[in-house]
Formats: sequence, C-alpha cells, structure tokens
Amino acid sequence: MSAKTTRRDMMKTISLGVGATLLSPILDQLAAHAAGDERRAIRKRVIFVMQSNGMSPNHLLPSGLKPAPNGRWTNDTLEEVSLKDRTLHKAIEAFAPFQERIALVQGLSGRIALSDHSTNHGALGCYPASKGPMAQTIDSAVSDALPGTFPHVAIGYGGSTDVMNYSYSASGPGKSIPIICSPDLAFKSIFGSVAEGAGRKAFDRRTNLLDFMADDVKRSRATLVGEEKQKFDRYLEAFESLGNRQRELLAKADDLKKNAPKLGDKLTTSTSSLILEAQFEIATATLLAGVTNVVTLISGGGGQRFGSYPEFGIPDLHGVGHGAAYGRTSSEDCHVELRQFHTKLIAGLVKKLASVKEGDGTMLDQSLIVYLSDSGEGHHPNLREWPVVLIGNLGGKLKTNGRYLRLPQYGAKNHRTMANLYCTLLHAVGKPRDKFGIADPALKDIDQTGPLAELLA
Amino acid sequence: MTGIFLNSFAMVAGTALVLPLSAAADEARQKKAAAFVQAHCVKCHGPAKQAGDVRLDNLSTDFAKDRERWLAVRDQIRDGLMPPAKEPRPSADEAKAIVLGVTSSAGIEPGRLPNQGNLIPHELLFGKSAAPAELPYARVWRLNPEGYMGFVRDVFRGRADGIVQPFTVIPERGIKDFAGLYSIDEPTTDILIRNAETIVAAQTAHTIKDGKMSGKNDTVGEFVKLMDPFVPPTRQQLEAAIQLQFRLAIGRPANANQVTRLLNLYEKCAKVDDTPNAVKTMLQAVLLCTDAMYRSELGLGNADRNGGRRLDPLELARAVSLALGDRREASIMQAAQKGELNTKEQVAEHVRRMLNDPKIEKPRLLKFFREYFEYHKATDVFKDRPADKIRHIPSVLVGDTDRLVQSILADDKDVFRQLLTTPMAFVNTTTKTNKQTRMQELVPVDIVPKQDPKRPPEWLGGVDAVYGFKAWPNRQPVELPKETRLGILMQPSWLVAFSTNFDNDPVRRGRWVRERLLGGTVPDLPIGVVAQVPDDPHRTFRDRLTVTRATSCWKCHQHMDELGLPFENFDHYGRFRTSETVRDAAATEKNVDKKGKSLGPVNREAELVISGRIDDSGDATLDGIVKDPREMVRKLADSDRVRQVFIRHVFRYFLGRNESLSDARTLQAADKAYLESGGSFNALLVSLLTSDSFLLRADAANSQTQPFTGKETK
Repeated sequence: MSAKTTRRDMMKTISLGVGATLLSPILDQLAAHAAGDERRAIRKRVIFVMQSNGMSPNHLLPSGLKPAPNGRWTNDTLEEVSLKDRTLHKAIEAFAPFQERIALVQGLSGRIALSDHSTNHGALGCYPASKGPMAQTIDSAVSDALPGTFPHVAIGYGGSTDVMNYSYSASGPGKSIPIICSPDLAFKSIFGSVAEGAGRKAFDRRTNLLDFMADDVKRSRATLVGEEKQKFDRYLEAFESLGNRQRELLAKADDLKKNAPKLGDKLTTSTSSLILEAQFEIATATLLAGVTNVVTLISGGGGQRFGSYPEFGIPDLHGVGHGAAYGRTSSEDCHVELRQFHTKLIAGLVKKLASVKEGDGTMLDQSLIVYLSDSGEGHHPNLREWPVVLIGNLGGKLKTNGRYLRLPQYGAKNHRTMANLYCTLLHAVGKPRDKFGIADPALKDIDQTGPLAELLA
Repeated sequence: MTGIFLNSFAMVAGTALVLPLSAAADEARQKKAAAFVQAHCVKCHGPAKQAGDVRLDNLSTDFAKDRERWLAVRDQIRDGLMPPAKEPRPSADEAKAIVLGVTSSAGIEPGRLPNQGNLIPHELLFGKSAAPAELPYARVWRLNPEGYMGFVRDVFRGRADGIVQPFTVIPERGIKDFAGLYSIDEPTTDILIRNAETIVAAQTAHTIKDGKMSGKNDTVGEFVKLMDPFVPPTRQQLEAAIQLQFRLAIGRPANANQVTRLLNLYEKCAKVDDTPNAVKTMLQAVLLCTDAMYRSELGLGNADRNGGRRLDPLELARAVSLALGDRREASIMQAAQKGELNTKEQVAEHVRRMLNDPKIEKPRLLKFFREYFEYHKATDVFKDRPADKIRHIPSVLVGDTDRLVQSILADDKDVFRQLLTTPMAFVNTTTKTNKQTRMQELVPVDIVPKQDPKRPPEWLGGVDAVYGFKAWPNRQPVELPKETRLGILMQPSWLVAFSTNFDNDPVRRGRWVRERLLGGTVPDLPIGVVAQVPDDPHRTFRDRLTVTRATSCWKCHQHMDELGLPFENFDHYGRFRTSETVRDAAATEKNVDKKGKSLGPVNREAELVISGRIDDSGDATLDGIVKDPREMVRKLADSDRVRQVFIRHVFRYFLGRNESLSDARTLQAADKAYLESGGSFNALLVSLLTSDSFLLRADAANSQTQPFTGKETK
C-alpha cells in the first residue's frame, strides 16, 4: 500500500452488499468510516511483543544514565528524564527515529509471577507462572475493548517446532489462547480464504461444511454430561466462529488481497529469525488490512523454550543466560545482538503504521506497542523490576512522548506493579479496571490498585 | 493444535469420593483433627491474630461443612509447610494421621494434571481398607499427536504431502496425554479442515486420458468413480462412499441418520458446485466428525453384572489399540465386529496377543518409559564441548537407553527392578541392516576419527568413553564397569536430562525420585522465591547447594535435595567420577606471566561426597542414610511402596487419568498380577486393560445425575 492511500479511500471501495445481517462490529466500523464518521470509525490498536530470556534494564538506559549500583535501584520516588537530545542504548537504537514517541519504563515489579525462567501466562496475566492460565491475560482483555474480525491475532516463534503455543495468552480461566508459530498457518488462517482465490463456489461449499459440522458436533455433545461436554464446546465454537468469520473476510476481500504479504520461502522456513520476520510482516499486514486491532507477537515459547538462532551463531539462549558468549567478548554481546534484531522488526512495524494515513494523522497515532520479556529483567529474573518499552500513545491516551521513567523501587510507598501498567492500558482503551491479576502478597501494605497516573494522559 | 485445559481454580475435576466410614470413626477423626488445629494452628490463625488473613479457630468440626478449608489445612500439613519451623512440630505420624483422616472424611478429588496424581495418599490406595469401586463416567479422549498421524495413515495409505500436525500436548514434565486435558479450538479446527481437504484430494486423485478416468497410486477406487463431472453419482454409490470413509476413519459403519445427513450435505453442495467437489466436501466431513478426532468411551455396551455398562466392543477395540499403539489394530477390530470381544478373557487374549506379537507396532510402550523416566529430555539440554574432549552426543545416549528399556521389556522378568538396578547397558549403538543376512544388527554410531599426528587431537574419546569404555564393546548389552552405574537413573541420558547447561541438577533429580518412586509431593515454587544456585567455580555443587538449607527453602528442599545428591557421583555429561573439578583460587592467582598477566584459571580436584538420605518416604525400611547412588537405587528397588508407585504411574498413562480412591482394587489387582507373574510388565498391562476401571463406565442413566463439583469454564 502506498503512503498516499488512506484507509478511508480503501474502505470506500469495499462492497457492503453482503447484507445487513452480516454486519459485525468491524463492518459497522467500515460503514461508519465510509460514511464519513471519522471519530467513530478510528479504532485503537495495541500490539504486544514479548521476547524471551529477559530484557536487561541497562538496555533501557539512554545516554547520561548509569546502571543501578549493585543491580538494584533505590529511588523512593519517580525519577524521570526526557529522551530529547539523548542517545538510546545500542540494543534499542532502532527506536531512535521515533524516540519522541516512546516511554522507557523501569521499576515496575511483577513478583507474583516469579519463576526460575519464563513467567509463562504470568507475564501478561499478573499471576503465578506455574498455575497455567488462571485468568484472562491483558492482551485478551484489551481485545475485548477493541473488537475486530479477528478479536486477537496471536502469532510468533515459539522456540520449538510446535506450530502452536499455549503458554502466554488466555481468554479466561483454563482457556489458553493458541499462538500460531508457523507463518504458513498464520497466513492461511488470516489471508487464506481470499488470497488463495478459491472463489464463490468454494466459499459456499465451505459454508455448508462448517454448518454441517457445527450441527454434527452439537449432536455428539448431547450424548455427554458435565465436564465431558466442554471438550466438544470449543470444537463447536470453532466451526461456528470460522463460519461467521469467513463471511466477514469475504466482505473484506479487496483489503486482504491488497495487503497480503508476499512471503515466499519464509512461509515454511524453519530458521528462527526468518519465522519472526515473516510473522512481523503478517502482523503488520493484518493491522493494515483492518481485520484486527490487537496482536500478540511472541519470540520464545515459555518455560525454557527460549529459542535458538544458529543462523546468528547463537545456538542456545539458555547458554547465553548463563554467560556463554559463543565467540563474542561476553554473553552481553549476544543479548544485544538479539535485541537489535527484535527491535528492528518492531521498528519496521512502527514505520509501516506511521506510513498509512488515518483521519488527520496516521495509523501509528492510534496505536500502542508494548514490548517486554516474559522473564522480566533477566534469564533468572527476580522481577523486582520488569522493564517495558511503550511506543505510541493510543490516540493521545498515554503520555509516551519521549520519556524515561524510573518508578519507585520495590517496597517503596509509591511502588507500582505490572498490574498497574495493565490497568492503565485498560483505562486507555475504554474498559477501565483498577485491579488486574493477583496482588503481590509481599506488598500488602502498598496500594496495588489503579492505573499509573504517571502514564495516563 | 488443541486447546489445553490446564489446571485452574475454576476447573475442579472429578467427583468427590468419600470413603464410607462408620459415624463413630468419623467423629473420632474429626475430634482428633480439631484438637490438632487447636494445638498447632490457632496461635497464629485464631481470634488474636490471623496470619495471612487465615483464621482457623472457627473451623467446623464437621469436615463436610467446611470442606474447602479442611482440605487447605491438610495440604499445608502434608507438604510440611505448616506449622512453621519456629513452632513446635507435630510428629510425622501425627501429621500423617491428620492428612489421612481429613482425606478419608472430607473426600478427595484426583488432580487434573498428570503430575497431581500423587495428591491421593498412597496408603489409601494400597491400604487394607480399599474403597469400594465406583465406576468412571462416560468420557471422550482426543487423539494424541501420534494417534492423529495414525488416523491419517488409516484413511490414506499413500503419501499425503502437506499434512500438518494439528495436536499438541502439555509442556509439563512427565505423562502428557490425559483424556481430561484436551479440546479442539479454532486454529486447530482450521488445520483439521485443511488436512481433511488434503487427504480427500489424495484419496480422489485421478487422471483423465482419452476420456477415461483412472486413479493414481493409493487412491480409493470407490471415491475416484465419483469424480466424473459429467456423470452424477447414484445414491447407492454415495452411500457406499460414506460407509467406506466411515470404516477408514472410525472403523465402524455409519448409522442411517448419519448417512442421511451426509447425503443432505452432498445435495446442498451439489447445488452450488459440481458433483465431484460436492462428493469431496461430504467425504471431508467424515474426517472431521467427533468420533474420528476423539476416542469415544461412552459405555454403550451391555450392562455388566458388577453394575455399570461395558464399553461397546468397537469402542473397546479402539481403546485397546490406542492404549498400545497409534492406529487401530486390525485383528481386535475384526473380533469386535464378529462379536468376539464380549468377555474379559477375550479382551485379555487380544491384549496378550498384541503384546507378544513383535510384528504389531506398540510405540506407546516405550513412550511410557520415556515419559516416566524422562531420559529422552537429554536432547533438550544444550552443552558446550566438553573440556576433556570426550564426545557428548545426547541423541545417541537416548537411543542407548531406549534399547536398554526394550531389552528389559523383551525379557519381561522383574522388569521394574531391572530398570532400576541392571548393571547392563547399550553403549553407543544404532542398528543397521546387514546386506548379506538382511538382519538388523547393532553397530556403533559415533566413531572418533583418526587423529592427525601433526595436530593436537580434537577428541580423546567417543560416546563409548562416557560409559567408561575405551573401545566399542562388540557384545551388547554389555556389563558396565563394576560399581559405577546401575539402571536407568545412572544412564548418561537420564543424568543429562536432569542437568543444566553447566551443572548437575540434584534438586530436579531428587524431585523425580520423590514423586516418581516414593509417590510424594513437592509444593510449587512459592511466590517471591528466586531458585538459583550461586555460580562459584571454586566450590563443589554440593557445597553451593547448601543455599537451600535456609529454613524457608528447606521446607520444600528437604523433600528433594538429599535424594538427588548421590548422583553427584557423575558429572553433568553423565560421566562417572570420583572427584569434582573446581577452580583453585590460590593457584589461579599465581598463574601469571612475568609481567603479572593472568595465564588463565587453574583447577583442582575436590573431594566428592556422594551420600544421601531418604526421609519421610512412607516406607520405614527405606528411611535413612545411603552411602552412594547404587545403594540408594538397590534399596528403592526392594521397596513394595516404590513398586506400587510405579504401578500408579502405569495406570495413569494407559488409562489417561489420575487414579481415584475407587481405583484402589484395580491397582491392587495389577500389583498382584505383576508380582505373581515374576515381574512381568505384560501381565501388569493385561491386568490394567481388563480391569473394571478400563472396561466399564457408570450406567448412562446414572450419569445424567453425575454430581459434578466443578464449575464450568467460561
């Protein structure tokens, strides 16, 4: 898509002749947009990017700031500096072109999710790492507020050959959201129905099949009782929602065709970095096509599935976590190289969003990228601090205008946690909550509720 | 991939099973428990103080009325977390009596996850007063990943390129495939539909030459006939195609209702597209139906004289097939169709036949031992090149242990003891077909290449050296050097699987022994604890691990560390050792050139302590100090309890669920069958796969009133 094309132009070309009964929230949104109701049409977007093996707090320090003495901050009040005229750490220098639109946040804790390595669902859920999907995670909660044809696109590289990962995201207790770790499958499930050019006949046959299967599963379900029924519930939901979705996707065929990425061999690659490149391209295209407003991108699969990058000469990230340097001066060089690779991918996504006009600005104006690690600040985290990079301000809802923030240290009176950050996001997307996940019992004397006033505009 | 129901607070599995007790006995237990709480808990959880916002002085003495809180109290006592160390401790017997008393009276639910099986105290399953058998309820069990590929092979004999594995299993250690864990979610369904399209395209692939249609290799002739766009299929042809696809996919015929509905689907599709495409859609639907993707164990067979209903013969034949392998086994399916699978003895005959026939693939057997011991995880642990230049190839180590397990199973005598204590091993082995005899023979995998005399040797030893051999032993399995290693737990593969990148992992080794051999439980890592052993190259690992002796850590580590430390007899590559290499601080400091520049670290050999201690095992004959790992495994192999815990794990794997109190008789019968057969694993399996727990389901009519205690997921 050229930068000159606006989403408004594109939307006007879409036929809505499929009938009013098919109008979903997203079609409604398109209709509003085409009709000129800009304010109603513009949706916010949130993209979560989670990279394994910890995010070194030092990578967030801009020029002029020194690492914490003995690895631990001791400030009891908020410390803040502007990023203006400062240079970002080389690990995240890819963010420099838009550093006036980011907030580097240090000092949030997340010890409720403490684990020896990955915090798994705890990273986005603010609850213990080892209990599985105890409750809804923040990406899913945000998607409730920002519905789309795909309520939530979760893709990435899972650090193994499994094509699906169930370790990070959940829509509710006991309900892990699958994260698609094969670019081929991700592409097919989002763009497949139109990009493959199957045509109207195939569409109708598939509709018949999905309807038949939904009916068939319902009949089987009726023979079971209690919890056994639930095993068929998701299968039933799957056929029903695939049916509804393919109607919506057909209505957006032109948009999907225009944006479908050309991935070639990357679709089926087994090289970690190429998988990630492909998944970032798919995520970007999905956002540009307007079929989702919430994306989770993972790199690493929870537990000790950190991933492996033999193509970079870094065969084992666990080794890096324990000091292996793989021919570099130190393991830190490996950490920096991998962060540079990931931040370049994020920067590419940001650049794309900034290139598409939307309303009076660009898509980036309405977007937010939340970049963090599933194991907080290190390979073996202690989670007294959990570094986070925020890019974008969600249509002015967040104060992310080139700031470095160091929140009060763990245990200080005004100390804040990841749950406070997630409450902030929910306030910003219009579904305010003042509690998220499970409170840290070691901070029982501190108010752990509410959003971060420091970030909320 | 499949949706995974992980354990969560909103999903409580199963039914509360309450042991029938006399009112007097119940009252006595309740009084005893109340007195215990008064003595040990109320000081901190009473009217004056409510530590952690928990108050217990107001607990009802009636367990049933205050069940949740009583179970929470029990779990704290069972795991040794309460009373805290600074307070007077109850005796082990006193604590155990409370745990058993509360469990017996307040009821217990089997945990949902495989690793929660031990939450049911061993004594309640193998004690004298076993609970009466209550039958399990009707269930369905999603195919496991290998079962799905078996399904694909059943429906299409040839190569079906492009099939994607849709299913996955939980990442947790141990047994993976439980019936209660998996559903099928939307992205998985998307893959299943694509796979069904691929399979049907392969089943119906054809060419048209001179106006004549012919199928390609391995296509299904009956389906190809229906691919002529100019000749619409007859109803009879369509019905035959439906029946054939049902037999291929599910192993049974479709009923009249299913045929009618599939014909309707065909009709609908034929209205919008040509008839070959309509046929294909109809055939795809069969591959997606719940009966194809799930093992159905509804209990639709005859009523049993012991109450409940049997699995119907076809359900049973599929259940037995998939218990042992990845595909339906032809003979047992035929027997079911002929009505020759109606008695327990008929089922036993087929299980024996399948176990004894080497031509029948039974991959699930070896898989059990992999998931139980977890030695196959050795390939997941990345290690640097060893400093001693002895080759580390974990996949070879895993292959060796696979062969050892298979040879013990082939012998089928005293299997569990052999697994723990055999002095034999396969060393650096793979198989190769001898071109002359056409027989498979063992050959070495890894051979250290000849050294270039002009260069320093790249390797000083191959995989053979890991086991203590200088050359590849021609006769395998071979007896290992005396007093070095015994059994699976001292196989290099197991030791590597329970190691980290740079060190041994005695904590996880000890946890394995506690859970898989002693049937104990270890609480999860508490909130706020950073589980890290300090990196200090100057100290032995045992010395560094003393960090866990702090009171707050030891509460949990007392269940693990001493059981894992005897394996310090081996390094983290799995080599036998008699000392441990550590950094010599003084010598390193002196190791400088004339200008004072360091010439690198200098190491020294530190004394190795390989003793350990078994505590609180539940078997008095086991408790006490062990001088080395060999003494420990010999002691464990002699224990009835340890053998029974192994049998509990076999039950879990092959029945796809945790044992409940109602399964006590099944477990005891299995143990008896194992002992009476001289330790035959086959006899154990025959016993389990012909038990009421496997064959019967609660009567469907009663199932409608099944008293579910769990809340439904949202």
